[in-house]
Amino acid sequence: MKNIKKLFIGCILAAITGSCADSILDKEPVSSFPAQGFYKNASDAQAGVYGIYDAMQSAFRINFSLWGEGRADAVDTNNSGDALALHQNTLTPIISSASWNNLYEVISRANYAIKYVPQVFDGESTLKDQLLGQAHALRAIAYFYAVRVWGDVPLITEPYESAEQELFISATDREIILDQVVDDLIFASENCAENYGGERDRILVTRGGANGFLTQVYMWRGEYDMVVESAQKVLDNPLYSLVPINNWSDIFTTGFSGESIFEVGYNEIQTNSMRVLYALGSDSYYFPSESFRNSFENGDRRKSLIYDTTQVTPRKIWKFFGEGFNDESPDPSENNIVLLRLADIVLLKAEAHARLGQTDTALELLNSIRNRAGLPALDPEDAEAQYSGVEAAILHERAIELSFEGHRWFDLVRTGSAIEVMQPVNGLNSEANFLWPIHEDALNRNPNLEQNEFYR
Amino acid sequence: MSEPYKNNLRHCGIIRNFMGYMAFLAIHLLISGPVMAQERTVSGTITDSETGMPLLGVNIIIKGTSTGTSSDLDGNYTITGISPGDILTYSFMGYESRDIPFDANTTIDVSLTPATNELEEMVVVGYGRQKKRNVTGSVVSVGSEEIAQSNLQDPVSVLQGRAAGVQVTSNSGAPGGGMTIRVRGNSSLNSGNDPLFVVDGVPIESNSLSSLNGTENFGLNPLADINPDDIESIEILKDAASTAIYGSRAANGVVMITTKRGAEGKAQVNLNVHTGISQITRKLSVLNASQYRELILDSYRNMDNPEEPYWTVIDSLNPRNTGDVDWQDELLRTASQYKIDLAVRGGAENVKYSWSSSFLNQDGIILNSNYKRVTTRLNVDFDISDRLRAGQSIAYTNTNNNRINAGGTGNLSVIRELLVRPPSYAMYLPDGSLNGYMVGRRNPVGIALYATHQNKSNRIIGNEYLEYDIMDGLTFRSNLNLDFTAMKEDDFMPSILDYREGYNTGAVRSTNNITWGNENYLKFDRNFGEKHSLNALAGFSFQNWQYERTGLDGMFFPSDNIRTLNGAGTISNQEVNITTEHSMLSYFGRVSYDYMGKYLAEVNIRADGSSRFGKDKRFGYFPSASVGWRFSEEKFLENLDFLSDAKLRFSVGNTGNEAIGNYTSQGEFMVGSNYLDYSGASPSVMPNSGLTWETTTQYNAGLDVSLWRNRLIFNADFYIKDTRDLLYNVPIPRTTGFSYITQNIGRIQNKGIEFLVSSRNLTGDFSWNTNFNISANRNKVKELPEDLLTNGYIQNGTYHILKEGLPIGTFYGWKFDGVYARDEDNVNGVTNGAMGREFQGGDPIWNDLNGDHIINEDDRQIIGNAEPDFFGGITNDFSYKNFTLSVFFQFSVGNEIYSEINHQRNSVVRYNNLSTDALGRWREQGDITDFPRPVRDDPMQSDSRVQSRWVEDGSYIKLKNVHFRYSFPSRIINKIGIHKLDAYITATNLITWTKYTGFDPDVNSYSGLRAGVDEGSYPQSRTLILGLNFGL
Repeated sequence: MKNIKKLFIGCILAAITGSCADSILDKEPVSSFPAQGFYKNASDAQAGVYGIYDAMQSAFRINFSLWGEGRADAVDTNNSGDALALHQNTLTPIISSASWNNLYEVISRANYAIKYVPQVFDGESTLKDQLLGQAHALRAIAYFYAVRVWGDVPLITEPYESAEQELFISATDREIILDQVVDDLIFASENCAENYGGERDRILVTRGGANGFLTQVYMWRGEYDMVVESAQKVLDNPLYSLVPINNWSDIFTTGFSGESIFEVGYNEIQTNSMRVLYALGSDSYYFPSESFRNSFENGDRRKSLIYDTTQVTPRKIWKFFGEGFNDESPDPSENNIVLLRLADIVLLKAEAHARLGQTDTALELLNSIRNRAGLPALDPEDAEAQYSGVEAAILHERAIELSFEGHRWFDLVRTGSAIEVMQPVNGLNSEANFLWPIHEDALNRNPNLEQNEFYR
Repeated sequence: MSEPYKNNLRHCGIIRNFMGYMAFLAIHLLISGPVMAQERTVSGTITDSETGMPLLGVNIIIKGTSTGTSSDLDGNYTITGISPGDILTYSFMGYESRDIPFDANTTIDVSLTPATNELEEMVVVGYGRQKKRNVTGSVVSVGSEEIAQSNLQDPVSVLQGRAAGVQVTSNSGAPGGGMTIRVRGNSSLNSGNDPLFVVDGVPIESNSLSSLNGTENFGLNPLADINPDDIESIEILKDAASTAIYGSRAANGVVMITTKRGAEGKAQVNLNVHTGISQITRKLSVLNASQYRELILDSYRNMDNPEEPYWTVIDSLNPRNTGDVDWQDELLRTASQYKIDLAVRGGAENVKYSWSSSFLNQDGIILNSNYKRVTTRLNVDFDISDRLRAGQSIAYTNTNNNRINAGGTGNLSVIRELLVRPPSYAMYLPDGSLNGYMVGRRNPVGIALYATHQNKSNRIIGNEYLEYDIMDGLTFRSNLNLDFTAMKEDDFMPSILDYREGYNTGAVRSTNNITWGNENYLKFDRNFGEKHSLNALAGFSFQNWQYERTGLDGMFFPSDNIRTLNGAGTISNQEVNITTEHSMLSYFGRVSYDYMGKYLAEVNIRADGSSRFGKDKRFGYFPSASVGWRFSEEKFLENLDFLSDAKLRFSVGNTGNEAIGNYTSQGEFMVGSNYLDYSGASPSVMPNSGLTWETTTQYNAGLDVSLWRNRLIFNADFYIKDTRDLLYNVPIPRTTGFSYITQNIGRIQNKGIEFLVSSRNLTGDFSWNTNFNISANRNKVKELPEDLLTNGYIQNGTYHILKEGLPIGTFYGWKFDGVYARDEDNVNGVTNGAMGREFQGGDPIWNDLNGDHIINEDDRQIIGNAEPDFFGGITNDFSYKNFTLSVFFQFSVGNEIYSEINHQRNSVVRYNNLSTDALGRWREQGDITDFPRPVRDDPMQSDSRVQSRWVEDGSYIKLKNVHFRYSFPSRIINKIGIHKLDAYITATNLITWTKYTGFDPDVNSYSGLRAGVDEGSYPQSRTLILGLNFGL
């Protein structure tokens, strides 16, 4: 019994002195990584960049439409939530499309990658360049949308790794952010892969993708020479060609088409809200507006591919589901969301030429799109007669060709026609109103932010 | 008799005779020895002083010797070997002992007085037992008799209404379903509000381990793995003095569960069988098909631009749409259950054992829901030598739960679906097959019959101990404890419930959860002289928790008949695999001192080190102190005969809460942020190395008074609980890429009073006892960091806010003031938002809080509160001869319910059905009603706002339990070879008095802070049980 006593006392002493306390109480995560311990090798770097695309899926699953179509003239709605507020121009700081959370998730993940990817490679590496290129491009896409939706926003280019960092960042002038966007996209156009092979060329950012977004940014800033230059690089890229009209629906229903430059990939598990947006008939977020339905030229072969022309009051948008689609289940959708495709770039280039006074080049490009749709080519006189000008004809062509894909509202704002077009619909009458309000939640979380002027 | 044996029988007055007989046998076996003829013999009869009935099995012993005997069936005894001057001690469990000197009189008839020994009872406290009379903290007990009478199948439900200061609400009425238990209110914001559960010294896992919970916001009840029939007593430690010994896990109280152990004597075999039926407590009214069609058409007409109605609304000829179904009738049933308990308990001189097994088969009131549970337990205690003891308590539980998804607001919730599914949807198609899927929703009967939602678990809770007496009064004890659960879950949604050909989904999860630990401590217990008594404890412990989950989700199984994941055409998710670990190293001690039983004092301390916190903040120290003054022992009160005992208690101390993620302080980078098939990773938790414990300081004052020889016992407690350094996920700008950072912020206060009255109203042949308890807790958020506050508050989920000065369960939204009868009634031209249109006849009248004639966010206000004003229960126990009746009422008063389910069933949401309240809807100008006009895609958001219209008074009184029992007289059953036979009937949830219009006011759809929301949980049932209890 004496021995037992000694043993017990020994145990107690060992415990009391705490000799092993640290080893008992040091527990690192097993199924995840401690915040600072993730980036160790090339496959981690690869995973970190795919993580950015994962955030892209969330950012665009419904917002591509709310931001790009919700406030424009092609859609009408019976819905009560965001869709109605946008359509009636009664935006409030609590509507969900006023939230930038998912875009900053993209930015945050990209900032991590941009900081840590170089550290896992010794010296030069093609993979390192490609990964950094994509991270820069994705960050740029996120900021480009943020600037177009909210104007001035906080510019953050470093990852957050400690509570000691400055959390409450105020907004930066939109032009400075766009400079950053251009820098990032130029970096991407030089470092992304020319191609990755197969379907990955459509769902990852390639050099062509970077040039395509660059084209959009230049157009937004009205730098037409630069638009022509960057668009030309896309047109010259062998990855991209216009698909024939018979396969036109496939661009959206099956994805991965030859016309696609960058689409956000989804599948049966990683889904988006396409059906809720467009497929539920009168319960959808959106159905085609009367003015949109009346804006088709006769003989446009896209009409019955875009919406249900058989209904008396058409309520179904077929573009993303295929002609004849008639299922109103509000289930998640697995369509890829095409953010950038060749027809967009062709029409942007046409518009830039038109604005530079190069009408013939402009019409040539415009007609390539019109002809595919079964419409006759326009000459300057036709354009003037039908649309009072080449630029207007191009804008109309964009409205039809790119309908419901998330371009119309930005086109209206960019070309200065937003008030003219939307005032009759919802009374829009102020440029300050073009921006979204900053979501109440973002303001509440950050005392250094100010609400956009129109919504104060 | 040993202490556990006494406890075992503490309340069992009715089976006293039987036990006496057992003791009689035991004593005969043990102490009958050679009789010394030259000494004298005494005999006599022993009776009950109150009833005059003979007492069997009274222990008679010559003081100071081992010579003794016991009384027989007629109360007669004979003892030999006695000399004049000897003292005879008559002792019998449940009675006061008497010493009678032997003075040559050879007949001594003795009457024994039943001991009202409530205060002599022992209560279980942390790392030991204490005499109830010496407790200076706040402890409440529920004993085995109350547990047996309740006939409930888990120990948490048993506590509902029976323990002052303990609030129990049901998350689900499903067999094995979740319960929420709060001891003295919510003291934490991050939902770590559950008490620590300790079973026979083993701190067990009390959080749900199930991961496939469908749309429910809570899981299963892990305490249901413990068979209530095995429980000797449940003690709830409430104040800091009693809980501080458990330090950082004790801020929410500690529930000590003690299981039955064996006692020296012949084996007692007990067989208890029961069978029962359950039904829903109340059905709710829904519209029939024609009323439904009319209403939906109305909702189309009321649109700003009326649309053409969808075909399901107008086409009543389509064979898929010809139904007129009340889905409640299709899905609810009268469910049956049965249970068998078998126990053998006994012991010899050096070994005591208790073995028990049970089987429960319980159907739920929803079609196909079923719960099966097998438990077995072996508790053994050995005396290895005079000084060394060892033993174990080990229990195994196997459960198989066929669950039904019955919570949340999604279409997959069967409960919601049975109230809002259109009645016109046909159950079957003309070819006889199930109409499995229509317009985005699956047939709930199909879900119940054909989907799989199964949970199987195996659990072992065990404790092994070694106890060694080092010297007189000093004992060393070492415990090794283990709680291991292996759980497997399977989900499958067959393609017959989907519109897509071959579209089915399945999921599997396998979870291993293990917590184990080792505790070593020295106990010291000694009297110094007559007056001083000292009791001390010192020790250390180590505890480790590991959680491992593996699983896969799959889809496109080639057949609905192969539901294991090997059949999946596509593996859709493998990111559910996770392993986490956490450990704790602790030191603890206690000193209690007692001067003549009059002045009591106790000090506790615990130091806990947890791996969850940053290196510099790892250790926390949790001290407590308490004093007690038994003023009934003072001279100046000596003459008050009616005052049997009276004591004042005070305590103060700190406890902690470490309920945060295992790795939160380190930050986390998670895998599984995949892009299509490419593996991705992303930062998920922002690190904060400065994190530390939540600390709760609690003050408790108590008064215990016992009058007229314990005929009336009264306890009162008053407490204040201040919690600071709350672990809270503080929202930070999302521009950081994170939504929050966990910090220590803010303060919460709970204060309250608890009363307990226990009265023996009538004694004698007809006895009547009353136990009454009532508690009131007032919760208040005292401090929130300023930079967190949005307009002065934090939104807490959809329905609640957190605001300084208000309790945690505060509902916040728009106030509904009725319905505009006609357009002109909106005299101020109140509009929906600054730019929306004016409210018209048939629209709701919203309270315009700021009077700006614009209804917007600024008009939101407090619309209710889930905290009850008071709650409690009252039990009346009657017994007459062999009949026993126990009637238990439970109540909760002043709590409000946010009835999300009533919102669902009174709103136009797509094509949902509505309640019959909608028949009183506004139809035309001038209608005076409180049911607004139905509007499809209503731009005024009449129904979807969080609003007072869905807040209801959730007060209730329930006739919760009625237990009636007949014990067959022993002279009859002895003839057929059994010692005891009880027949009983138990009714549960017999009657509920409430104004609440949902299924049942005892409801709580969220297990965390979002109290008082009814999203349509699995409804409560009324149960009737018939049982027989045999003692062999």
